[in-house]
Amino acid sequence: MNHFRLWALFASLACTMNGTALAAGDKAAILQRGAHVATEVCNACHSLKYLKYSDFLKLGFTKQQVDVMRGDRNMGDPLIAQMAPGDALAAFGIVPPDLSLMAKAREGGVGYIDSMITGFYTAANGNTDNHVFPGIKMPDILGISQADPTSRKALLVKAEDVSTFLGWAADPMAESRENLGYAVMAYVFVLTVLLYLLKRKIWKRLE
Amino acid sequence: MKKMIAWIDARFPLTHFIKHELTDYPTPRNLSYWWGFGFLAGFVLVIQLVTGIFLAMHYKADSNLAFDSVQHIMRDVNYGWLIRYLHSTGASAFFAVIYIHMARTLYYGSYRRPRELLWWTGQGLLLLMMATAFMGYLLPWGQMSYWGATVITNLFSATPIIGDQIVIWLRGGFAVDDPTLTRFFSMHYLFPFLISAAAVIHLIALHTVRSSNPSGLNLSDKDNIPFHPYFTIKDLFGLGVFMLVYFGIVFFDPELVIDVTNNIPANPMQTPADIVPEWYFLPFYAILRAVPDLIGGVVAMALSVLIFAALPYLDRSRISGGAIYRPVYRTMFYVFIVDIFVLGYVGAHPPESVLKVVGEVATAIYFSTFLLLPFLSRWEEGYLLKRGLPVEVMEMTQKEIEEAR
Ligand code: HEC
Repeated sequence: MNHFRLWALFASLACTMNGTALAAGDKAAILQRGAHVATEVCNACHSLKYLKYSDFLKLGFTKQQVDVMRGDRNMGDPLIAQMAPGDALAAFGIVPPDLSLMAKAREGGVGYIDSMITGFYTAANGNTDNHVFPGIKMPDILGISQADPTSRKALLVKAEDVSTFLGWAADPMAESRENLGYAVMAYVFVLTVLLYLLKRKIWKRLE
Repeated sequence: MKKMIAWIDARFPLTHFIKHELTDYPTPRNLSYWWGFGFLAGFVLVIQLVTGIFLAMHYKADSNLAFDSVQHIMRDVNYGWLIRYLHSTGASAFFAVIYIHMARTLYYGSYRRPRELLWWTGQGLLLLMMATAFMGYLLPWGQMSYWGATVITNLFSATPIIGDQIVIWLRGGFAVDDPTLTRFFSMHYLFPFLISAAAVIHLIALHTVRSSNPSGLNLSDKDNIPFHPYFTIKDLFGLGVFMLVYFGIVFFDPELVIDVTNNIPANPMQTPADIVPEWYFLPFYAILRAVPDLIGGVVAMALSVLIFAALPYLDRSRISGGAIYRPVYRTMFYVFIVDIFVLGYVGAHPPESVLKVVGEVATAIYFSTFLLLPFLSRWEEGYLLKRGLPVEVMEMTQKEIEEAR
């Protein structure tokens, strides 16, 4: 069971109360930057097959911008990997997993992806390894193990952007779901209170 | 209108039925909210049927398409995410509601004479539900779906002599594969209708013996009130509270009841680190694993569910009323509930060192609760009769004992 999500919910509620929650504009900017990283970097090896190029319009990209992202692919096409699965298998010994549901397919979700892609380091023997996923067959694609402190900072932002984007990709309906949820909860709450009052009234007849 | 109803009544007992079974149906006035869970179970059954029928319009029962078709439902179908989350959360809600319903039955001794058949039809319903949930869990064709089905179907290999054949017959092949998926889908669509029929039988049994009540005493007529409007409104208020919890999960944390591993497509070549069933099967799974050999484990697990049916005979006390007037029984009830939670925890974790022992002890406690009940209940009866009980309880009890002679 994914207890993480419940904690994430509490955390986001706490942030909202602290006023530290991201403004809607910031979130949109992060998602757009993350979408760029995902299409330009990750999509080279990974598919994001449950996303179509047209889905980027929902993130506030203009049609022209999406045209640039999709190249010679169609608007309705899924984001299959640029590298053919056979080539990837030959190069890495494994076909890189699809990323469009990844944020729901690992304990820790978005946080896991973030710490995994920033978890690369140079081991004592000179090889690159990963703190979160030792022996991973994915290369240190952001170059975090080679980064100096200043470039590292930019890379961490990049990693957070793309992880946040993958969180959206795994659950693009989250926002509309929660919005509908508030209305439903308010409705049911009022209804329940009314039912309670009615119940009290009806049961009074017995006295 | 009146004429029309009269026309129908001459040919079909419509008014009689509604009066008899609903509006005028005599119900003990002291029923607490714990008696509302049966109604909730019926409500969740309807949710599951309706959402399930809509899911089946978009779902593809094909091992190459199933996983993707669920994502299609989640992303492309209008309100598909809502239908799917109502259904996946509904499964958990169903078990939660039924387990509370059963716990109430245990606490208040509602399974006791004359409600044995009512209790057994309920048992049948539980078994049908378990089968339905188990088969439904294969349909998303995620890793946990696949490996859960593999582990559970494999249990049938414990059957003497023909075990292996049964496993092949269940799966439609040597391993869980497309034939398994299609037959599970077919059965998953069928079983809810069996459940509906069994629920009707359960209700007929209920309306024959009438509801039990918190005092556990047979109430005189003046203590009964018509079901409508008193319990329709009480149940509806309970439904409101239920919906607040249910929709809270559906809209704000729907993946709470979905294992992350099941968001990875089924892969027959790769076993997940640990295979964990849904929360509602965890205690039984812990019992399965607590017994070292396969046959023993399977028998223990089957018994752990079926043994509830023996309760009307295991409980030999004739003290009227459930746990309220029975301190020993009450203590056993609470120990049993805590024990189930312990088993659930054990079932969710790999059976290593300490947890393995805890699981074994909890399993022993689980079964000893049932096995000690005949002795403890009789001893308790003698003790309480000597010590004296409230007058009404004493009278009822004496009558019971007379009748038993
Ligand atoms: C050069 C090819 C390549 C690129 C580019 C790439 N990956 Fe990977 N990735 C892989 C391979 C190969 C694996 C499989 C690793 C394994 O299972 O050992 C993988 C696995 C993963 C996993 C799954 C880890 C797990 O728990 O199984 C995640 C998450 C991931 N990549 C994220 C990303 C993100 C985010 C990006 C873009 C910033 C990215 N990858 C870019 C090759 C790549």
